Amino acid sequence: MSTLTYLQAISDGLRTEMRDDDRVFVMGQDVGAFGGAFKVTDGFLDEFGADRVMDTPLAESGIVGTAVGAAVAGLRPVCEMQFADFVACGFDQLVNVAGKMHYRQGLSVNITVRLPSGGGFSGGPFHSQNPEAWFMHAPGLKVVAPSTPEDAKGLLTTAIRDPNPVVFCEHKNLYRRVKGEVPAGEHATPFTARVAREGDDLVVIAYGAMVHTALEATEDLDGARVMVLDLRSLVPLDEEAILAAVHRCSKVVVVDEANQTCAAGAQVAALIAQRAFEDLDGPVVRVATPDVPIPFSPPLEQAVLPDVERVREACRELLAY
Amino acid sequence: MSSSRTETGVVDVVMPQLGVSVVEGTVVEWRKAVGDRVEADEIVVEVSTDKIDTEIPAPAAGVVSELLVGAGETVAVGMPLARIEAGDALTDDGVPAEGQPPASGGDDAGAEATGNGAGRRLSPVVQRIAADHAIDLSEVEGTGRDGRIRKQDVLAHVETAQAPLHTESPFRPESVPKPESAPVGGTLSRMRRTIGEHMKRSLETAATCTTWIEVDMSRVERERAALGLTALPLVARATIDALREHPQLNAWLEDERHTVHDDVHLGIAVSLDEDGLIVPVVRDAHDLSPEGLGRRIRDLARRARAGELTADEVRGATFTLTNPGQYGALMATPVISQPQVAILDIEAIIKRPVVVAGPDGEDAIAIRPMCVLGLSWDHRALDGVLAARFLSAVRRRLEGGPS
Amino acid sequence: MSVTTSVPVDHRRDEPPEHLTRADRVGLLRHMLLMRAVEERAMTLYRQGKVPGSFYDGHGQEAVSVGPAWAMAAADRLCVLHRDLGAHLVRGVQPATILAQYMGRAAGVTRGRDGNVHFGDHRTGCVGMVSMLPDMMLVATGLAMAFKLRGQQRCALTWFGDGSTSRGDFHEALNWAGVQRLPVVFVLENNQWAYSTPTRLQFAVDPVERAAVYGFPGVVVDGNDVEAMFEAMRIARRRAVAGEGPTLIEAMTMRMHGHAAHDDQRYVPADQLAAWRERDPIDRQAARVAALGVDVDTLRAEVTAQVDEAAREALASPMPDPADATDGVFATEEVAMGDGAAPWSGWSR
Repeated sequence: MSTLTYLQAISDGLRTEMRDDDRVFVMGQDVGAFGGAFKVTDGFLDEFGADRVMDTPLAESGIVGTAVGAAVAGLRPVCEMQFADFVACGFDQLVNVAGKMHYRQGLSVNITVRLPSGGGFSGGPFHSQNPEAWFMHAPGLKVVAPSTPEDAKGLLTTAIRDPNPVVFCEHKNLYRRVKGEVPAGEHATPFTARVAREGDDLVVIAYGAMVHTALEATEDLDGARVMVLDLRSLVPLDEEAILAAVHRCSKVVVVDEANQTCAAGAQVAALIAQRAFEDLDGPVVRVATPDVPIPFSPPLEQAVLPDVERVREACRELLAY
Repeated sequence: MSSSRTETGVVDVVMPQLGVSVVEGTVVEWRKAVGDRVEADEIVVEVSTDKIDTEIPAPAAGVVSELLVGAGETVAVGMPLARIEAGDALTDDGVPAEGQPPASGGDDAGAEATGNGAGRRLSPVVQRIAADHAIDLSEVEGTGRDGRIRKQDVLAHVETAQAPLHTESPFRPESVPKPESAPVGGTLSRMRRTIGEHMKRSLETAATCTTWIEVDMSRVERERAALGLTALPLVARATIDALREHPQLNAWLEDERHTVHDDVHLGIAVSLDEDGLIVPVVRDAHDLSPEGLGRRIRDLARRARAGELTADEVRGATFTLTNPGQYGALMATPVISQPQVAILDIEAIIKRPVVVAGPDGEDAIAIRPMCVLGLSWDHRALDGVLAARFLSAVRRRLEGGPS
Repeated sequence: MSVTTSVPVDHRRDEPPEHLTRADRVGLLRHMLLMRAVEERAMTLYRQGKVPGSFYDGHGQEAVSVGPAWAMAAADRLCVLHRDLGAHLVRGVQPATILAQYMGRAAGVTRGRDGNVHFGDHRTGCVGMVSMLPDMMLVATGLAMAFKLRGQQRCALTWFGDGSTSRGDFHEALNWAGVQRLPVVFVLENNQWAYSTPTRLQFAVDPVERAAVYGFPGVVVDGNDVEAMFEAMRIARRRAVAGEGPTLIEAMTMRMHGHAAHDDQRYVPADQLAAWRERDPIDRQAARVAALGVDVDTLRAEVTAQVDEAAREALASPMPDPADATDGVFATEEVAMGDGAAPWSGWSR
């Protein structure tokens, strides 16, 4: 165990897998000499060489498409999108080529696509998005989003080993803000949910940065015992964990940092409506970003992103219901 | 269920609580009929309880729209007796009374009507728990917004009013007119005679001893609330696990023949009120989760009270649970059901100060829900040490061991 | 690096390539005949209502797929386009499997999950295409990248059409392959029409000219000459495995049928079709093989019988079980590609 930031934990997971498995290599813009826009691969070039720490042209479709080719040739590429937003340019390769490969022709595509996601630091409309729901809607892609350093390492390890394309949403706002104990050496985390805090009066279901928002918002909520369920994996979605939490608490607040329409939380809410109806003691409440591009200026950005106050207020309202 | 006299919309006239221990009352006579106009505080109905006869005044002015209970019928405290279409503002011909502003759509009259009716907007989980426990939700007080019944309200009700099996049945029999004041007498019912014979035979046969143990039920209370169960199935599950650990108690002793069972067929004593007692059997109880035990026990109890049990369902128990804790009793010496060798008695769960370990390991006093478990056992089949070990095993599981 | 571009098309070149044996030359013809026979049978089945959806073929373009595929080694990898059925046949996919594929049967390569030539049998070293053209150019580039990373002497090959040259992935792949000098060969299948769009509305400069700007050679080849296609590919492959980087081969050919079975291509001038009919790749190879003393009629009869049998087999095979429709979206384990059991000469070991 050592105390690492979320960012260091991602590096640690990646480095550990690259040391253990020579099929694993990283590719992306500025990942080599520069160590990546956020320094996830800092020092990798020296340790693993330019072949395995590949600086690519500025071509997201090219990054994903060639990764598919390398994967079907037996390698395990880990692609870095410089910002999650830019994956839009690689969308076709991810959704149409990678996602459908196994269903159509039984060929596995073991690629991991890292998406530095999320806002909260004036990144503006093109450096702040949370595009996980785009890929939840595309069959054949797994989607995970860690909230803690331990899970960042563990989920990345599992993603690299998973024979399917995995979209790994790492939250930029957690990179240096969150620290925690991380097991040294090999550490894999299953694609299942985690109870971040026990409780039985209400459950807040969240993932990524919003887990921290949820924990803070409900830490002292008029004595209520609020469970926080960290989804960790969006595809596959840990339906049993969600249903168990609802069964126990009967009141649910679902929090997304993403734009609200058809977000991950919408899927969670639909699941609850369909399969946990008889456990509900109030409406399923959602807190998410309204359907606007993420604005640049701090007061505007703060006005749209869910924060501790909004989550707390939603919980209070529902507890009183 | 209090209503102010300025209220509009539908207002219920409810059976009031006429004394601390009173749980029901009987309608003696209606003073108003459907369609009659009543003023606030005008007498609507006369009711009687075993303590007092009284007249019930209207909680609001308006027109009686519904009589829900007939004369002579007995209903629980809190049940609506009649509904009044309230509205001081309307005269009989519907013309606004002098000096009153006309009611208009969208004003707060409508909102208030909704608020008043909100007590009957029931969430799915409340309906499910009520159905599972056969609870009449009109008896449950809501603590949610606008008096909405919340999950915790119905769970609390399950605990206090309805919960432990063996208590009053959810089935409310037609009240039988009691003989005026003649002394009660006559011959015993057939069931009472049978029970008597069994009990007497057991005491004559077994060398009955009783051992008690005290259990901190904090964990059971938490788990019970989370699962929406009574404590009984959780105690049953812990008992089954302890029986698997000490199978000598899961046994029959017939004369010299001692049979130790692997499978647990759990007898559950169900009170039929004055009619007596019956012990249906949860077969293969060791295979069931607490939730599963809860369902089976509820089903057996319901059918026991409805007289629907088959002969096979009351035979073959390897161990019996009895659960008279509802009445606040602290200890009892249950009688073993032959040819079993033990019976476990669950007493009331009562909050008491107990000595616990404080944060630094020092002694501290805490308030804990405590419960006495009493085990009557047959000294012919086992000794006191084993009885104590068995009870400890049950306690360990209830207080925090693996469930 | 010397960059050669715009090699003139020579339709009259009839010198046999020195690397082809007599058996190879017959094999090339046999596989072109097989491709045409399978597609004609599939078209018949389509008109009989046995093939759901739409139907696309490569009539007149048989040399473009058969020739290059013949030049590939077993360990090489191919990303095959929808008018290149011949490549699948060369790599060893059976005609009955292909006909079952067209008919959406359980015995098809994709078990009914995809139709037409939207398939790749990974056991034969092929990756199936997607409809978004030219996505597979990047996948082939990635395959080549893996070969290079592993220090393997292997080559990746992909086909793409004239319409594809307008999309960004064309640029991203050529650029990437050029930057990293990857062992990949891009075959531009210029059949003059992208659906109803003629090449003059697709590009202002012949795409083969662009190879130079990415730093590797582009060559123009008679796409209706199977031996010329073989030879161009043989040279490109040799360059690739020698670490000299990619090659762009523009195969000049003609789409003799509509874009799909529903398209009568009335927008194509009749004289253009007539001129290309004269250059039919099968007729040309048949003449060469006949000159070697081979009985081409017997060959044709054998192929016809083979496809008749394949059709019987495919028609007798079951439709997929609807209960399986949601299976296999995710892999439960890694699946490796195979080298196939190809019947070609294997001269390029």
